Amino acid sequence: MATIAAREGPAPLPRLFGRGMLALVLGVYTVYTLGPFLWLATMSVRTTAEISADHYAWPKPFHWEQFRSAWVDSDFATYFWNSTLVVVGAVAVVTLIGAGAAHALARYRFRGNRLIYGILFSSIIFPPQITLISLYQILVDYNLYNSLLGLSLVYISLQLPLTVYLLEGFFARIPQDLFDAAKIDGYGDLEIFWRIVLPVGMPAIATTLILNFIQLWNEFLFAVVLITDPDKRTLPIGIRAFMGDHFQDIGMIATGVMISVIPVIIAYVFFSEKLIRGMTAGAIK
Amino acid sequence: MAVVKLDRIVKRYGGGGPTVVENVDLTVNDGEFMVLLGPSGCGKSTTLRMIAGLETISGGTLSIDGRVVNDVPAKDRDIAMVFQSYALYPHMSVAENLAFGLRRRSLPGAEIDRRVAQVADILGLAPLLARRPSALSGGQRQRVALGRAMVREPQVFLFDEPLSNLDAALRVNTRSEIIKQHHRLGSTMIYVTHDQVEAMTMGTRICVMNAGRVAQIGAPLDVYWQPANTFVARFLGSPPMNLMAASLAAESRRAASPALDAPLSRWTDAVLGSYDGRTVTLGVRAEDMMIDAAAMEGQPYGTVRGRTIAVEPLGAETLLLVELESGGEITARLPRHVVAAPEQKVELFFRADAAYLFDANSGNAIASHESGAAAIRAAVQRRTH
Amino acid sequence: MPDAAALQGKSRSGEAQASSSASSSLADPRRASRLVLAVFLGPGLLVYGGLTAYPAFRTIYDSFFTIEGMDATFVGLANYRDLMGDETFWIAVRNTFIWSFVAPVLDVATGLLLALALYAGVPFARFLRVAWFTPVLLSYVVVAILWMWIYNYDWGMLNVLLRTVGLDALASSWLGDPKLALASLIVTHAWKWAGFNMVVCLAAIHSLPKEVLEAADLDNCGWGAKLRFIIIPMLRPTLLSLYILAFIGKMKIFDLVWIMTQGGPLWATETVSTYVYKRAFNWNTFDLGYPSAIATVWFLVVCASVIILNRVLGSRERLEY
Repeated sequence: MATIAAREGPAPLPRLFGRGMLALVLGVYTVYTLGPFLWLATMSVRTTAEISADHYAWPKPFHWEQFRSAWVDSDFATYFWNSTLVVVGAVAVVTLIGAGAAHALARYRFRGNRLIYGILFSSIIFPPQITLISLYQILVDYNLYNSLLGLSLVYISLQLPLTVYLLEGFFARIPQDLFDAAKIDGYGDLEIFWRIVLPVGMPAIATTLILNFIQLWNEFLFAVVLITDPDKRTLPIGIRAFMGDHFQDIGMIATGVMISVIPVIIAYVFFSEKLIRGMTAGAIK
Repeated sequence: MAVVKLDRIVKRYGGGGPTVVENVDLTVNDGEFMVLLGPSGCGKSTTLRMIAGLETISGGTLSIDGRVVNDVPAKDRDIAMVFQSYALYPHMSVAENLAFGLRRRSLPGAEIDRRVAQVADILGLAPLLARRPSALSGGQRQRVALGRAMVREPQVFLFDEPLSNLDAALRVNTRSEIIKQHHRLGSTMIYVTHDQVEAMTMGTRICVMNAGRVAQIGAPLDVYWQPANTFVARFLGSPPMNLMAASLAAESRRAASPALDAPLSRWTDAVLGSYDGRTVTLGVRAEDMMIDAAAMEGQPYGTVRGRTIAVEPLGAETLLLVELESGGEITARLPRHVVAAPEQKVELFFRADAAYLFDANSGNAIASHESGAAAIRAAVQRRTH
Repeated sequence: MPDAAALQGKSRSGEAQASSSASSSLADPRRASRLVLAVFLGPGLLVYGGLTAYPAFRTIYDSFFTIEGMDATFVGLANYRDLMGDETFWIAVRNTFIWSFVAPVLDVATGLLLALALYAGVPFARFLRVAWFTPVLLSYVVVAILWMWIYNYDWGMLNVLLRTVGLDALASSWLGDPKLALASLIVTHAWKWAGFNMVVCLAAIHSLPKEVLEAADLDNCGWGAKLRFIIIPMLRPTLLSLYILAFIGKMKIFDLVWIMTQGGPLWATETVSTYVYKRAFNWNTFDLGYPSAIATVWFLVVCASVIILNRVLGSRERLEY
């Protein structure tokens, strides 16, 4: 008797596929998604010799010292440090500047408000090449080529349109009553921004921060063009260089890649919900 | 014969969760308009949804037309539902909304067109057929929701607080629309609301629910005149019935407290005897409180003394809020010519046969020697002659 | 009397004071003084002007020149004429278009299917959601390296798997065969982004009004019918905006291609971005004018495509619910 009792919540599973088939498909997809990781993880604790012998064996023994040599041999410390400096700096500045601009656009009426917003918003679709070549020339001219400061400045400009777009939407939804009350209480515009908009807008600011951070942390194109000094490499180019240096040394490469992935995994384990929400901000209406 | 029978229906949320509906026994007769009435959270919507098949039934039996339908999926129960939020398909036009359920049931196209046209005509939706729900007003949307249920020509109609989202004027209109359709179709309808005006004006019978249980079932006026317990007594009637604590003296057939003194004419000696010396709850409706002893017209009456707290002149009548000498507040509904001021000592009178008695612990009514429709009629005649 | 007069005088001078201190006492709280606006908008506009607008204009300007080192020679439309005849450029455009129009369909469809699977109430739904989102967080470098290993002809996961199940004939050089390379990259890219689309679709499905779905239940809709007639139509705005988002992303693609194939083999995976990069920074003749022309043309193409896509696909009516 194939009747399905009505359930509260989402509809019951499709009879057509049955739980078994669905579970199989989901299982396969999960393996497809996480499998490569597992492989990477196992390879990172095996030597290249072991890997060449059998690419898929379980590590035996676990060569934890590879991590140490990868870290020491290859400047990963420098790469991490550079990335941190550049990205944290850029994210902090772009969030502040973007919040200020978003607030002005969301809150105040003035001629050109929608025009400015439109210009900023539309630049989200700009292909990076349109600014890449000139930025290269500009940085060279101003002696900021091959400098972390230069890269940071470029990063700020890269994320500004998105930041303004996300925050403007949120700020515009803050009820005008809050501002009217503050004005009556005698607060000035800047104070209102600092004491009201920023605290109330914290959720949106947090998600924007996360989104900007992840996008810049992984940024590759501008970094590869604007930085050539090995000392100044950020993490993505560092890993790529590492791969180039150790061309056939798969074990080493795996270890190096693993090192770069571990911080992300740790952050993800603790903050998965916030990270997911941050990364998809703007796409979910 | 669309008889809906709920037999000891229970709803319990999984994993040792709360029991939201407990032991509901209810039979809705064919063609009846049954209103499930109660405050928020009393389980009326859950009960309705169990009848619809949108919630599983944790215990008891539900049968429609003699057939047990506990495990029958919603779409096979031959019921239609009108939701509080209308639940129209936003991406379809009105005509498509009306036709959708029929198409899904593979009715022949000509039949679908006929039914849609007919219902659109009846509800005045014909000029709106091509529009999307977003282009309709609230009242129009609700009519489309009603129409969508009507085209199905189901055995039972279910309504889940359909008027809550409408403004006052629209509520009155849509209410009469629903009553009109009930008269026309003669179908069994089960209607959930927290509004007692809707219940009183629309229901053939009402089922008052409280905290997951049935408090009372009966025709609206029966329930009004003969509340089975203090909950029902206070839920129906605006302002709510006044409940006052008093001590019962069987010998003198009186109930008294420092602020109150009333003869008890409607109870047998035996009943009074069982409550002798105990505290009981005396109930008198606000409209039965008079400020003028002459209105008692020689009949036995009770007196209550207190101090006015507030006077609310409403134009057609005046409401008086009084604090009793023994504590507690009561409300009196007085004719509009009465003039009163706050902080005044006041004495109110009520006919002895207008009083109700309730057990102070359980809240259940203490049965008088009158009961049933005859008693109700008599009671009404006594009050209004 | 003197008191009243004194009071009046006081309030009037108070008013005068108030109107002279401009910013904090303007009548309409929605208007701000020039200074305040400058403080809020200034830094942003400065950054935008100097690092986005100016470079963009400069690139367009440069496209009319041949620029070698410090020398800039005006050549008018010569660069553009050369571009029209540049075969590599057109191959790159074709590849990028294939990627941009076709891949988003794959992305959005996969995302929707995964979201539906989670919505149906599979066990471990919460874990799966988190697990499936992981690749989104990874840098392209990591993804590229991983998949280069997966695609390896001799010992890569894909070929090993095929050989194990006896499909030896299908084992190929996924990144080395010009006919397969682009598709291989598309699959890798989809692998990274599926989780993103899934999360957005899942959120959208959860935000559908429950009562409408219940009404569909009562209207004799099984899972398939509900999907086809109710869920997907109501999700249309989300699906379309995901498509456009994916489209824009793929028009810009560089990182993955550069690391995995550098545009090879034989330009099978050459995209406009990799081509611009090569012409600007890898070419022997260090001329920045020509790649500027490419960048300008591409800029116009992207903008036009987005506008056209929006018109064609954009929600004709707002689905209010």
